[in-house]
This record gives sequence, structure tokens and C-alpha cells, in this order.
Amino acid sequence: MRDLFRGELVRITAEEPEVRAKVEVRWQGDSEFHRLADSEPVMMESEKKLKEWFEKQNEDGFTPERFPFSVRTLDDDKHIGFFVLWLDLIHSEAWVGIGIGEREYWGRGYGTDMMKLCLRYAFTELNVYRVSLGLHAYNPRALRAYEKAGFRLEGRTRKDTRREGRYTDGLWMGILRTEWESMQTEGGT
Amino acid sequence: MNDIYMGELVRLSAMDVDEISKAFSRWSRNSEFRRLLDSGVARTSSQNGTKKWFEKELDDQSINQHWFSIRKLDDDTLLGDIDLYVYNWPARDTFVGIGIGERDFWGKGYGTDAMRVILRYAFTEINMKRVTLSVFEYNPRAIRSYEKAGFRHEGRLRKLLNKEGRRWDMLMMGILREEWMEQDGTKTAN
Repeated sequence: MRDLFRGELVRITAEEPEVRAKVEVRWQGDSEFHRLADSEPVMMESEKKLKEWFEKQNEDGFTPERFPFSVRTLDDDKHIGFFVLWLDLIHSEAWVGIGIGEREYWGRGYGTDMMKLCLRYAFTELNVYRVSLGLHAYNPRALRAYEKAGFRLEGRTRKDTRREGRYTDGLWMGILRTEWESMQTEGGT
Repeated sequence: MNDIYMGELVRLSAMDVDEISKAFSRWSRNSEFRRLLDSGVARTSSQNGTKKWFEKELDDQSINQHWFSIRKLDDDTLLGDIDLYVYNWPARDTFVGIGIGERDFWGKGYGTDAMRVILRYAFTEINMKRVTLSVFEYNPRAIRSYEKAGFRHEGRLRKLLNKEGRRWDMLMMGILREEWMEQDGTKTAN
């Protein structure tokens, strides 16, 4: 059987609260990373608080709903990012949150490799019908990466975020199992 | 200043936990109501369980959360509930949820009227920039009502839901402050 945890550039590992908190402190020091990642006002949190938060997430689960992974490079085992899948058991669909905190790894194919692992896990291990995500309109790099991974743009919530004095739109994307499957046979990955 | 809780057919009032729990557990016996309300599993809910849920929800009521009962203007009948949840203060964006539990009053304009009242509250009392909602493809009555209240279609998440053996889309809608001002903003002045 195929190794679900290994891609071409990265592998995915368990989310260790202690390790994750330490690296998150560093990533949160990069305001651009943090502002691309979500809509909450950017804040820098203490390692202690972050560690407790990650521990709590793992206590509440490993519920069947949350599937978090840390991402490491294959060549030097550097911890560069994460992804999380939130599963809706009733409707067999999942939402993904994904990020590369180490900015020297942006734009070099690592995100694409991570998303491939993420979708394969969602469609062949969680067996979902669909995967969804949201992003900010001011993140064209992410939009291109998600389109490349097979996501289609499905919605635009107008002016739902305000950054740098301007209102910007939220974008919503989704990929269906059938669409993902047809990409696998075409692309051979 | 006019009464911001007052509509043409309904008024919004405080939630009475005992009253709403009793009503909600009765409404939930109607699986259609339950299935249109949200994407959760339709389950009958005991009065006690419902009461605990509402108590917790109303205890948490902060500046982020605004719950109201919807009452018929002429005879005060409890028709349903409506709530705002402000999830993005920097952009002043709030989510709205509504349910008319008394099905004899479906399709008669009560929900639309309640939505108009809460939009006025959202835009002129808590000073929101936008109001957001999501609705399911299998609820055309609600979609029409939201369109009438001024919401615009913003997205369609394909086949997100699984009900009655098939997949359905989830629709996203929103209304901006400037759109509301143009359509209803002048009415608040009289």
C-alpha cells in the first residue's frame, strides 16, 4: 500500500504540542504569514499559552473530527508547516487549514506537495465526498496553489476582511471526490 | 427615535429560557423544521436538554452574541428565534441565524420581517459593515425570503450536504452596509 505520510518533498508527522508551540511562536513573529493565515487580529501569543491550546485540541480529540499534522522536509527534516482537516461525519466532508510558517519555503512547490498529501488522506483515508477551504483575496499565491491542486472557486464574500485600511473579499473553494479521482488517473500521481 | 425592535408584522423580544425551551422542543418534533434549521442531525430534543443548551448560550451572551425571540405583533405569539454572532470585529462582519418554529406561519412574511428588523439592529445599533448567512439548496422558501430582505448571492459550495440520499449545495449570502442604507436606511429616519 502507498505511504500516506510521505510526498516528494515533505513528510507529515504527528502534531506534538510542545514542538508545535515553540515553532508557532516563531511563525507568529512573521506578521505577513499570520495575516495570510487567518482573519483574526494578528497577535503574538506566549509559548505556554499555545502549548496549552494545542494540548487541549488533542484532548478534546483526537476526536473523530480533527486531524492535525506537522510537516517536515524530506531532505533535512525541517519543520516548515502544518495542515489540519476538520471532518463532518454526517455529511462526509472536510475543511482544510494549511500553512508554511518558514517563508523561505514559499513558492517552491512545498505547499503543492503538502496539499497532495492532504487531499489523498481526505479522499482515501477519511473517505470524504468533498474538501473545502477559505482564503483571503489578497493571497494570490495560495489561490494559484489551490487551483493547481484541483480546487474550484465557488464563492466570494464581499468585503469581509479589513486589512491595511482596505476591505477585501473572502474566497471559498471546493474539490469533489470525482474531480480529485479524475486528476489522479490523468496526472499519474 | 423609533423602536428598533418593532417590525410591521413582528417584534423582537428577550429570550425567556423556559418559554423558548418548551417551544423549541415542541418545534423539534417537526423533523422538517429541524432539518431546515441547520446541517446537524435531526434529533428530537427534550425540554430539559434544550433548556440547558439555551441557558449556556444566553449565559455566554456577550457583545459578540445577540439572541431574540420573534413575536407576532398583534397577539404576541412566539413564532421563532433569531440571533446575530459577530465573528469579525475588525471587519465588522456578523453571522445571522433565524428559525420560524410555528409552521402555520411559514411563507407569510414573518421571517422576512424579522430579518429586516435584525438587519436594522445590526447596521444601526451594533454598527456592522456586513451581515452574512448560509442556507441550504433544499430550502427555497428561505432563499427567497433572504433575497427579499436584501441579501445577495455570494457563493455556492457544491454538494456539501448529504440529506435524503443525495448531495445538496450550501449557498452563501451577504448584505453590505451601503446596500442596506440604500434600500432601507432612510426608513429608520421617520
